[in-house]
Amino acid sequence: MRTKIRNLKTLKRLLALLAAVVVISIPVSLRGQKRPAPRSTTIDYSKFSHSTKKHQGACDTCHKIPTSGWQKVSGIPDVNDFPEHQACVSCHRNQFFKGQRPPICSVCHNKTSPRDEARLPFRNPASQLQFTIEFPHDRHQDVIALLPRRTFYSSQRAFAHVASDDNAYNNCTICHAQKAQPNAPKNNWPDAYQPKEGTFKSAPTGHDSCFNCHWKSQQPVAQNCIGCHKLASSSFSPIRTPTRISLKFVHDGGGEKQVHVKECTTCHINITKSATLRGLKPDVPITSCTECHNKEGLRQDVSKELAAIDKNRGFVCVYCHTSDVGVKDAPSSHYLIAERPPLKRGEIK
Amino acid sequence: MPIHPKRAVTRRRLLIALLVFAIALLLLSVPKTAGNAQAQTKPTGVLRIRVRVKIGEATKGLQRKRFYLLKGTLDQNKAVLDAAKQKTLVGRDCFYSRLGASQALIDWLKAADCESVYCRNIESEFITGPKAVPEFATAYAAGVKEFGADVARKWLTTNLPTQLRDGFYQEQRNTLQALMKQAEVTTGSTVSSVMTDRNGTAYFTDLETGTYVLTNLLATEIAGNATTWNCEVQIKSGDIATEKPYMVSNSKDRNVKCVGVEKPLPACSK
Repeated sequence: MRTKIRNLKTLKRLLALLAAVVVISIPVSLRGQKRPAPRSTTIDYSKFSHSTKKHQGACDTCHKIPTSGWQKVSGIPDVNDFPEHQACVSCHRNQFFKGQRPPICSVCHNKTSPRDEARLPFRNPASQLQFTIEFPHDRHQDVIALLPRRTFYSSQRAFAHVASDDNAYNNCTICHAQKAQPNAPKNNWPDAYQPKEGTFKSAPTGHDSCFNCHWKSQQPVAQNCIGCHKLASSSFSPIRTPTRISLKFVHDGGGEKQVHVKECTTCHINITKSATLRGLKPDVPITSCTECHNKEGLRQDVSKELAAIDKNRGFVCVYCHTSDVGVKDAPSSHYLIAERPPLKRGEIK
Repeated sequence: MPIHPKRAVTRRRLLIALLVFAIALLLLSVPKTAGNAQAQTKPTGVLRIRVRVKIGEATKGLQRKRFYLLKGTLDQNKAVLDAAKQKTLVGRDCFYSRLGASQALIDWLKAADCESVYCRNIESEFITGPKAVPEFATAYAAGVKEFGADVARKWLTTNLPTQLRDGFYQEQRNTLQALMKQAEVTTGSTVSSVMTDRNGTAYFTDLETGTYVLTNLLATEIAGNATTWNCEVQIKSGDIATEKPYMVSNSKDRNVKCVGVEKPLPACSK
């Protein structure tokens, strides 16, 4: 009898252990996963999605490249209008003639009225992006380089100090010109600090930066949309406000001597090996700054602020940073540059 | 009440089976997390190269040239380095001359040390007038018909014959791709590559510690010579902030760790 009870106890303990092990071994992500909500059968025809299977045919089935009459609206041959009605009506005849204001019209038109033909801008900046861009920086770095003495962009004046000893070759500025005034984030800039003109570089937003070489014969050519555009797994909003750890750094003509920047790849050290935009980070090491900003006999901007933290652990680093970053512990790289062992603010008495 | 011996055995077996199952489950779930933790803490190093070349009496940074890092020793990479040596370097001028390019185009490329027409902005003075490059003039004329005068100049390269446009770059790229693939098959590791900036500096980052070969794979054309670098480097765990530059040059110096081998460019046969 005793043996039976003992066996039963052991069995119970083992079962409890087994249950615990099973719970532990189920990945956390699975445990937190919710059951997918049942799909709604109602289709919102006011929203167009390329992820719909039937919208994934050859791009030129709907988009004509260039749009006919491009000369009237654009300086370059481009895709700058929505497809014609026939692209939609072949499948969506029913939706086209449904009621006084068919919702499907609002995909392209300002007003859902057969009497108003005005269209939204193409692409509509209010809509989410459906495609990501493939762009190998490494290959483009190979075929272009530094800056031309004169270009059709206006950002060159800031580079005047280096123009005299440079070759007249292209560099990143052929695509990344000076961004005039960056958009403020939703909650405004930290410390209400307004970044100066020339703080950020722009990124291409249209075909003009690509078609000048890739219009034809140089792949991916204009007709080969999927050479650059890949359908994203879900729609997403474009980044309108750049983020920066050192918000006070000014690209063009920055610094007291206006000597930022000699060449992009001097600071953006990983850009010449980036084969994709995915996972791309600015990757500017502190050494790019401290070559001038923390040099014996020159300037000691990093060391000075680290010394200020030693005296007052609540000190906010402000030379490069706004307070949202400046209150944090200085990273070990900053201490290494100052030839000191890394320190946390909490360790300072 | 005594338990039947057969039932006791079955129960014991069941207990043992449950225990084994529990342990197996536990073991299966552990290695993944432990492995991840190990991967996260794997030490990495940095190689900061500074390439300076001596041309005549002047020494300057070698700008806009690619360097590669092959995992393993010189010996382990012998096959790929030998294969690279076998590739005959065709100089830029020779390449374009063989294609029948005009002297004006060759000079235009040479003026800014360009390997392709994408390297420089094509100014109006190179389309018409005494400095005109015939190939540019022809492409421009075709562009004017297609897009109008303004776009025709900005998009001039779209109307250039493919080989003249970037044939030299593409040919080198194809050879380099094949060599890199060979190296990756041999070493089982990805080949890293970076391009030097205007001062001749470049960084290889996030490197696993160990032995590597720093190489330019295909010889670089420097002042009429073909220069090849193949040097073994040890990557230790380290930070970019404290990394001292690894000096690379075509001439010996006490600070230079990697000296290139120079050979005269082969004669250009048409």
